Amino acid sequence: MQFTARYQDGLIAETRDVRAVIDLAADPVALAIVDPQSREEIDRWPAAQTYLLHTRAMELRIGSRTRPAGARLAVSGIEEMRNALAVLPSLAKQQRRDGWAQVRLLTLATAALASVIVAYLFGVPLLADRLVELVPPGWETKIGDTAAAQIERSLTDGEGFVLCEPDRNSVANRAIARFADAAFDGLGSPFRPEVAVVRTDIPNAFALPGGRAYYFSALLQASRTPDEFAGVLAHELGHVYYRHGMESLIASSATGLLVGFVLGDMTGLSVAGIIGSTLIDNRFSRRAETQADTFAAETARRLGFQPSGLIDLLERVAKDDEFSKALSLFSSHPLTEERRRALEALSTPIADAKPAFTAAEWSAIRDMCPPPPPPPLPKPVTPGAPAP
Amino acid sequence: MSEAAAEARQGRVEFTGSRHELLGIIVRGYLLMIPTIGLYRFWQTTWKRRFYWQNTVIDGEPLEYTGTPAQLLIGFFFALAFFLPIYVALFTLSMQDTDLVLLGYLAIGAAIWFLSGYAIYRARDFRLARTLWRGIRFDQKGNAWAYALRRFLWSIVVVLTLGIAYPWMASSLWRYRYRHTWYGNRKFEIGGNWKAFAGPYFGALALNLLSIGGTVFWIGSAHDFMLVGTTPIPGPVGLLACLGSVVVLAFTLAWYRTGTASRMLSTVTIGEAALTVRIGPGALFSQFVLYVLGVAGLLVVLGLTALAAIGAIYAAAASGGQSPDAAAVMAIFQSGTINVALLIVVYLVILGAFGLVAELTLSFGWWSLLARGATISNPDSLHSVRSGGEDRAVIGEGLADALNVGAY
Repeated sequence: MQFTARYQDGLIAETRDVRAVIDLAADPVALAIVDPQSREEIDRWPAAQTYLLHTRAMELRIGSRTRPAGARLAVSGIEEMRNALAVLPSLAKQQRRDGWAQVRLLTLATAALASVIVAYLFGVPLLADRLVELVPPGWETKIGDTAAAQIERSLTDGEGFVLCEPDRNSVANRAIARFADAAFDGLGSPFRPEVAVVRTDIPNAFALPGGRAYYFSALLQASRTPDEFAGVLAHELGHVYYRHGMESLIASSATGLLVGFVLGDMTGLSVAGIIGSTLIDNRFSRRAETQADTFAAETARRLGFQPSGLIDLLERVAKDDEFSKALSLFSSHPLTEERRRALEALSTPIADAKPAFTAAEWSAIRDMCPPPPPPPLPKPVTPGAPAP
Repeated sequence: MSEAAAEARQGRVEFTGSRHELLGIIVRGYLLMIPTIGLYRFWQTTWKRRFYWQNTVIDGEPLEYTGTPAQLLIGFFFALAFFLPIYVALFTLSMQDTDLVLLGYLAIGAAIWFLSGYAIYRARDFRLARTLWRGIRFDQKGNAWAYALRRFLWSIVVVLTLGIAYPWMASSLWRYRYRHTWYGNRKFEIGGNWKAFAGPYFGALALNLLSIGGTVFWIGSAHDFMLVGTTPIPGPVGLLACLGSVVVLAFTLAWYRTGTASRMLSTVTIGEAALTVRIGPGALFSQFVLYVLGVAGLLVVLGLTALAAIGAIYAAAASGGQSPDAAAVMAIFQSGTINVALLIVVYLVILGAFGLVAELTLSFGWWSLLARGATISNPDSLHSVRSGGEDRAVIGEGLADALNVGAY
């Protein structure tokens, strides 16, 4: 019961050829390491305290828990390896045990990470709600100002937005402010919404942290009724009321952290990181859109106008084509069909529904941003006219 | 060195690993990374290191890597503690709008650059402290913060001198690393200085300036380009010259890496034992060529797979009986979930495949070239090295992982 090995004692950088002999008579059973020629004993390892180490093919490396960390018996060649495993049957058993310990550790870590991700997906909308309440409104207003400046610069190549009617006391601006104040009346929001109608060809409207909302002239021109305009405006005011801008800032920064952790790239610059963050963040923003729609329906009920104008307008502006359907997981707005159904479920028919704006107000609002005059037609060429 | 040492035996270094063994490790790693949400990467790294270490046989005795995946996992948690303040700072900065923002980003960039110096040093420490040869552990002493500071200050000098100071920086950092490297109770020494870098560095720089400058000049002066939109596309001769510039770049890169590594490592001594490393630039260049061929082959395989997939989709759309049209094909892609899943799978497959080719050619090639090019004179003098004390807890690898500066 013995095998040939190379022996290192872990104290000095020397390797010597030895015979390892199992001493079953000893208590506990020991592995005697002896010089192959003189049979002189060099060391004696308790057999139960030996363990296997990872090594290349056709080699075994055996360590001992009772010796220095670097002490080794290295066994080469299939014959000697078989001998060693026969002499120390506990080695193979212990190797299997270690393998299972690794599997358990990996499974545990994965389960922990998975539960963090699940908790995050379902918890952050709730958490962001609570966290947002901790952000002082003054701070949020400042962040909104910054965001406004950044968005203005990026959308207009640094030229800044052009307000359709700079005069705050114009009929249209006063009507919009009256509507916004009425929508927020009695809700106890720390913000007083401020709506700016801005001249651009992008049909859009959005709200920023701190109570600012922008309505782009192209979207206004696409509105056919006062209720369409009021519906979208109420939707944006819903974002202001629920502080969605601030919420998404908090949520997206947490998402970046989580995705970075999963991928091991904390700089968050890899494509996988960006895609992952976008996917998760859109989950949150779709929920925010639904909340804002609900707010719009509520407002419509209170002020007595038809909320479905919101969907009419959005549908006209962004036609649901096959492509946008396919990409719907990436888009932040739920599909308009879905939204229409949800809105119709929310809105109770109003007996004495009247437009959100008076005829005079609506005509003033609609004329805030007249579309640029069409380019002049080429002069008709009259035959017989003298050539210039 | 005494005459006896000069006559002493030469110790050979061999590398016994094979590419297909490494391929097995990587493929298994990729497969296991999916169900473990990426956490298997710590096990994957450990297996790869075991492969490289245990197949490096120095004077008849292989290296042994004693690190464990759990250590890497814990190290990564520690790195998070470093990274969180940076993350919070970036988040706060992104919400400011003053001229100070740019300054803030610069400061964070500088902090990350400084930290990555620390991370590189600690990662080297982690690996050396877990490397055994003949039962004796290596170690990296010195101060990781001092190293980071040295690297940071040198970087400023290099930027200020437009790159001219780089050979001095590189040799300074090499010397710091090697003079604080220990094998048991015996210290490493390194004799190489900036001269080892100056030749390959300035030579490579000059050759590239010449080839790239020449190409640009020729295309410009001979008007050998067509405008596609507003982008100039070089003509046939110009394209050839561009290709030539890339080849020159790759070759000079190989020349620089092999030249500096050979020169610097050949001045490393451990007591009476001295290291000699000989690697020719052609050997590394052929690994580069192998990489390009591997990537090209991979692109063909991926392209054919995509074609087959599209064919299968077309067949599925046609199987309804009516002739397939665009709408039917699109119908399969109606579900956003399927699309996103497809996108993610395609991305991961491409990323994984490229990583695999890089590991099999560039990393494997460099390690085996280094190992096979090395010899140790007077290896018997190392028999008297004693163990240098017990292992300290070194949790230094995580930051390198988080900042993505780790190697091997």
